[in-house]
Amino acid sequence: MAAEDLPSEFDVVILGTGLAESVVAAACSRVGQRVLHLDRRSYYASNWASFTFNGLLTWIQQLQEESQPKEVPDWSSQLEEGEELIYLSSSDSSASICNLQVFCYTSEEDEEEQAPDTTEEETVRAADEDAVQEVSEAESAETREEEERRGADKGQAAQTAGEEPEAESHPHAAPSQSEPAKKKLSYAQLVKEGRRFNIDLVSKLMYSRGSLVDLLIKSNVSRYAEFKNVTRILTYRHGNVEQVPCSRADVFASRQLSVVEKRKLMRFLTSCVEETEEQTAYNGRPYLDFLCDQQLGENLQHFVLHSIAMVTADTPTEEGLASTRQFLRCLGRYGNTPFLFPVYGLGEIPQCFCRMCAVFGGIYCLRHSVHCLLVDKHTNRCKAVIDSRGQRISCSHFVAEASYVGAERKKVATPTRFLSRAVLITDSSVLASDSEQQVSVVTVPPIAAGCPAVKMVELCPSTMTCIPGTYLVHLTCQSIGSAYQDLSPLVTRMFRTVESHDKAETRPAVLWCLYFNMADGSGTEVEGHDLPSNVYVCSGPDGSLGHEHTIKQAEFIFHKILPDEEFCPPAPNPEDIIYDGETTAATGDTQEEEQSPQKQEEEETKEEEETKEEEETKEETKEEEHLQTEE
Amino acid sequence: MAIRELKVCLLGDTGVGKSSIVCRFVQDHFDHNISPTIGASFLTKTVPCGNELHKFLIWDTAGQERFHSLAPMYYRGSAAAVIVYDITKLDSFQTLKKWVKELKEHGPEDIVVAIAGNKNDLGDIREVPMKEAKEFAESIAAIFIETSARNAVNIEELFQKISKQIPPLENPEVESNESFKLTRQPAPSARRCC
Ligand SMILES: Nc1nc2c(ncn2[C@@H]2O[C@H](COP(=O)(O)OP(=O)(O)OP(=O)(O)O)[C@@H](O)[C@H]2O)c(=O)[nH]1
Ligand SMILES: [Mg+2]
Repeated sequence: MAAEDLPSEFDVVILGTGLAESVVAAACSRVGQRVLHLDRRSYYASNWASFTFNGLLTWIQQLQEESQPKEVPDWSSQLEEGEELIYLSSSDSSASICNLQVFCYTSEEDEEEQAPDTTEEETVRAADEDAVQEVSEAESAETREEEERRGADKGQAAQTAGEEPEAESHPHAAPSQSEPAKKKLSYAQLVKEGRRFNIDLVSKLMYSRGSLVDLLIKSNVSRYAEFKNVTRILTYRHGNVEQVPCSRADVFASRQLSVVEKRKLMRFLTSCVEETEEQTAYNGRPYLDFLCDQQLGENLQHFVLHSIAMVTADTPTEEGLASTRQFLRCLGRYGNTPFLFPVYGLGEIPQCFCRMCAVFGGIYCLRHSVHCLLVDKHTNRCKAVIDSRGQRISCSHFVAEASYVGAERKKVATPTRFLSRAVLITDSSVLASDSEQQVSVVTVPPIAAGCPAVKMVELCPSTMTCIPGTYLVHLTCQSIGSAYQDLSPLVTRMFRTVESHDKAETRPAVLWCLYFNMADGSGTEVEGHDLPSNVYVCSGPDGSLGHEHTIKQAEFIFHKILPDEEFCPPAPNPEDIIYDGETTAATGDTQEEEQSPQKQEEEETKEEEETKEEEETKEETKEEEHLQTEE
Repeated sequence: MAIRELKVCLLGDTGVGKSSIVCRFVQDHFDHNISPTIGASFLTKTVPCGNELHKFLIWDTAGQERFHSLAPMYYRGSAAAVIVYDITKLDSFQTLKKWVKELKEHGPEDIVVAIAGNKNDLGDIREVPMKEAKEFAESIAAIFIETSARNAVNIEELFQKISKQIPPLENPEVESNESFKLTRQPAPSARRCC
């Protein structure tokens, strides 16, 4: 592990290991550029990172302790003839994160070891002082009462699950949740099992036909990660969580929808696929108007607007239709919903691109930064950088994540927009079903006028992001106030915390939660800053559900650097480089296919897809028939 | 026979012979001036083990460890880790202990750890006594073996020992409905059908 000196010459120096920077790094390295990729933090993926529970606690602590900006040494002695210095942002603090608040609603220690009255420990554990004040002492006394009621709650929760239509249709619905012995996990257990959590700072999903999935496949970076299907789309309405039927199979299996509604919805979804004159007549008018005029009825209107298009009432029709189409296009590629989620969390994705970069010779240093740029006065190009150890490293291009660039040089949309985030560890799913291993996205329309629309993702333990017996819930919305102000009312309604009072018994209990705000990356441009012409700025994560903005940005930067090169051509398969015995025996599973030469593979894909489509049409007719008999 | 994919990651100081070990195992080839095959992020080799076939996906570090910057995803889902040191370099044995610690902190909990003392063809300039290394390995319940990628000594044995330590699949059914890789084709579609 002995550290060596860095080489002093690179083609591209990249600062920050977020998704955009990592994609640029992989793309450049792949086509032969010498890449130096740095991050001042001790972990990969910047604001896209995921942490173990303990890692997250450290992250929180560091942000709260963050001291004044460090004094940056004067590097002007390094200047050569005709050069000038541009200092990068000196503070280690990421101004991109603020308003951190932590609450712990579970007991400190295991219950057996606990003395009967430990009121103090049971009160809210807050990592910052404001947070302590948020929850008054009086309220915390109620925690204990609730704790005591919990044993009984479990039985009831299971009952409700039985009444839930989905579960009813499965005779084997015997969720182990109904076991009365299930005990609430203590804070000590969360810490003890902390390394089995992978808690993302960002909450996004991958559209199965979105640009990130396409890029992963095209570049073969996908071989470094595994994925799971998002299994359910849910929505929160009239105080209840409901499943949204979105695939054809779902629509027909749904018990919430009447037969008439089923037909209407199918007809509507089919009609959306192609643009019609009727639709264009609504351009510029709200999507809701369009939906109203389709005579869908209140139920369907809600589903289409909030859960399929995932837009708000005032979104223009053309935008709403585009989102609806994107959703429909992504259905059925891998599963019953349009979305995928990476096992171990989203933080894996930037790391996968970094590995690809390293495999093609890119050099990686964490805890290492760039202090300043050396700029040629005449050409206004960055010739070299000075790293945090004072080494001069020459480069032809420089890419940096936005937080490394001082505010005085950045052109950003003002006022800076923020996202509000909440991360919850809960003890059960927001909607019990026959399987405990559901990955759900929940769309929550504004709970009152002026409130934000919230996107919620609930992850089960098999995504390897939380431990058995828990769920990891991510909430995201555009900030109006602080994350706590924006999201805690919803958390109190949908979950059981000290603040929930009435009829909370059947809801999932929150064991621990974190609120914070993160700068919204959609406001930062690649160019147009007060920076040399060969310096490009990557934005951090934005608030959308997918990754389109980031991938587009990375490709744009790559083509700025290398206009004539291909963006992320496929990396050779291991088998193409090294002869590998007789493993390709005809087992015929997808893994083997993956390694077959590409061309052949693509042809096979086409064939497969065709047969699949055929089958689908067959299925469709069958269902249509089925529907008629039902009538 | 069922093929089971096992990810194995290699760790250890630069120059101890990690790439040479893989190269010897997979291709039965040794190169004195080995230059890492750029673009090979992992190599594979399949060996029989009981009534299973073990397909090793052997991940080399790609140099990310050189500046202490290995990504946690490198260890993800690894069935085993081979930590290599050079028996002629005491330093490389010291850093091995750091790798063990790193694995304990960031690696999977049930990972099989193997310690390989490489370059044992250079016994005359040995700096790490076999006994000391063996005792250390025992203390952390790791496999221990001295190897020579150069002379093809104990390379096959290293991987055989790993194979034997891999617990048999408990429930193959459960495994198959787990996560999937993205390929150019649709993945096995969800089981739920109507
Ligand atoms: N004598 C002898 N030399 C070896 C043996 N194994 C590797 N070497 C030599 O050691 C040097 C380093 O080997 P590599 O396989 O590149 O080492 P590495 O651990 O992959 O190094 P990095 O990729 O830099 O981390 C090469 O010159 C090899 O020829 C061995 O068993 N005996
Ligand atoms: Mg090597």
